[in-house]
Amino acid sequence: MKQYQLSTGEKKFIGSHLLVAILALAVGSLFGPLQAFEHAGWDFYPYLKPFIKSYYQGLTVHGVLNALVWTTFFIMGFLTFNVIFGLKRPLKNPTLNKVGFWLMVVGVVSAAIPILANEATVLFTFYPPLKANWAFYLGLTLVVVGSWVEGWGLFMTYAAWRKENANERTPFIAFGSLVTALLWQICTLGVAVEILTMLLPWSLGLIEGVDPQLARTYFWFTGHPLVYFWLLPAYISWYAMLPKQAGNGKMFSDTLARLAFWIFLVLSTPLGLHHQYVDPGVSPVWKFIHSMLTFGVFFPSMMTAFTVVASLEHAGRKQGGRGALAWIGKLNWSDPSVAAQLLAGILFFFGGIGGLANASYNVNLVLHNTAFIPGHFHLTVATGVTLSFIGISYWLLPYLTGKKLWKPKWAVAQAWIWFVGMIIFSNSMHVLGLLGAPRRVPLGLAPYVPAEWNSRLFQVGVGGAILFVSGLLYLTVMLMTALNKETVKEEVEVPVAEAMQDPALSPVWLDRWAPWIYGALALVVIVYGPQLFDLIKNMALTSPGFRVW
Amino acid sequence: MAKKDKEDDEFRPSGTIAVLTIFVITLIAIWATIYMILVRQGGTL
Amino acid sequence: MNTKMHVDSYERNWMIFSAVMLVLFAAAVSVAAFGLGIQVPAPEQRVDPKTVATDPNSPWSNPGLREVSPGVYDAYILAHAIPNWEYLPKEITVPVGSKVTFYVTSADVQHGFKIQDTNANFMVLPGQVSKLTITFKEVRTHNFICTEYCGSGHGIMYGAVIVTP
Repeated sequence: MKQYQLSTGEKKFIGSHLLVAILALAVGSLFGPLQAFEHAGWDFYPYLKPFIKSYYQGLTVHGVLNALVWTTFFIMGFLTFNVIFGLKRPLKNPTLNKVGFWLMVVGVVSAAIPILANEATVLFTFYPPLKANWAFYLGLTLVVVGSWVEGWGLFMTYAAWRKENANERTPFIAFGSLVTALLWQICTLGVAVEILTMLLPWSLGLIEGVDPQLARTYFWFTGHPLVYFWLLPAYISWYAMLPKQAGNGKMFSDTLARLAFWIFLVLSTPLGLHHQYVDPGVSPVWKFIHSMLTFGVFFPSMMTAFTVVASLEHAGRKQGGRGALAWIGKLNWSDPSVAAQLLAGILFFFGGIGGLANASYNVNLVLHNTAFIPGHFHLTVATGVTLSFIGISYWLLPYLTGKKLWKPKWAVAQAWIWFVGMIIFSNSMHVLGLLGAPRRVPLGLAPYVPAEWNSRLFQVGVGGAILFVSGLLYLTVMLMTALNKETVKEEVEVPVAEAMQDPALSPVWLDRWAPWIYGALALVVIVYGPQLFDLIKNMALTSPGFRVW
Repeated sequence: MAKKDKEDDEFRPSGTIAVLTIFVITLIAIWATIYMILVRQGGTL
Repeated sequence: MNTKMHVDSYERNWMIFSAVMLVLFAAAVSVAAFGLGIQVPAPEQRVDPKTVATDPNSPWSNPGLREVSPGVYDAYILAHAIPNWEYLPKEITVPVGSKVTFYVTSADVQHGFKIQDTNANFMVLPGQVSKLTITFKEVRTHNFICTEYCGSGHGIMYGAVIVTP
């Protein structure tokens, strides 16, 4: 059966997302190892002085480019692909999507200029009253607005498809992508309000001061669902693509997969206060309620763990796998896309464990802002998500360009090197955090570092070095693939796993949008409303800006 | 359209239970370790 | 029209197990919070960061330790990035067994405050006062360190609680 084909123009459009994403990853990942090396006592920053003034400027570049730009561009490209391919129809209004993309590009450039000029060394959380150049805030706004516009383009496409296919179930990859885009529209309201009502006018000199507590609350309204915006595209691939790639497996439960996505939509925003457990100006009652909702959003991830592993097991058994665990060896590990995503998934298990500890209200007192936190999110966003996206790109780039993947064995090696490097790096960061080491500190220079941290700090450097090798290898494979003279003989097959049970048999309420959207909005109002109302009512714009970097 | 194969009906994800058992044991062990640090360090009121 | 969900029995059991486990974790957290008194900071008071360090009526114009009653202290601590990333006072000394309530605020940017090997670990924001209470049961020195990026000197910002016999 011949698969639906994207037009050349659509492939180019999605490819441009991939290009910006990979460029961001390339530059941003240069600086990751520099932080790790500094911890081990190998500080290269003094040699970079003509270009990069400080450890913190490097850390800002790393955080903004890797956590915000690489992810957002890759995701918008991948979601666009999934909607077109899943619904088997072109975008309703391609111009609108192009406008969104270019707004994002202009935004990245606008934010990059002050960052590179050391005018925005505020890290990727940009907590006021650290005050960056206005172009930084404007740039971030344009990235968000651009991603909204692209999202609207996807929704219009869905609406058109729905008109043409009144009674059909939304194909899963399109469904998951639309939920992700919708979640993003809801949750980014927080950071949009933060920037437009406070940071931008303040950086332009229109208002004197800001309220740092209110700003943090707006920020984390967006900051935690941001995690699900990163994660859900990887989940789409794990649920509906990876089982197929790993050994022609089927999706174990299409129904529960859809239910999990709806729970993510409803629960991922109204729990942002779990990043503010130790903020002075937020009520412990609301903190506690948000912690309980955070336990709630762990539930769909547990469902995902079951369905994904069961779908993979189905693939492994089909390939002749036996035993309780031996079937894992029968999965298609020689395919770099499979290897990368399986390894990403394994480390993501541990990321989930750390995340549950962080989320556990007072347990966070042990971990808050220690090295445990970057240790944790390098397992989640920097491996669960990033290594999965790398895996996806191993089939997506050949699909989009018609070029053969350059040296697939090297790509497999890249994934394994990342896996090993991240285990060393992340394990030592977690342990350092439990020993009390703070995050965001050049620990190679800090005066209070006890001798017992030293062996772990050395391991951070070793892990960083291994990750650096893996990053270079990835970029080499991507570049050589793009330049490859060898083309694919036939169209690259898009891996989409069938569901074990016909999706048409799943309950119809899983394909209704309105109740879930209203539910999500209502819950946000209920559990954010009172706290936000209180903070806004008592807003004190008393903090002038500081530039202390 | 998804066809329901006979072998799919017989498929029981027992390996999944094995994988997830390892996962939850690890999860509970790590979570409990950190929780015990919290309790050992004492009250804040 | 179908409204029932087909759920595999293994998966249903897994979901029940997950839910029970999360409920038990929530219960453990609640016991620690409401039974053992391990709580997170609550809104205490708001201050004007522009005058908090200079206004003679502000306790942070003269930061330091105040004895409330024998063995019970209030510690007013000011965090600032300007001019040189430090806490005022840099050190406090208390006898072992002392119960110390920390009131910490910032005169400029956001900071953190973490007393090593204790559960005192919180954000310090300009305009807000962060408060937690710690009982020091061991003769030793606990460093307190800044845990939030506050500019180029963030990594040198620390102080100490010296617990004497």
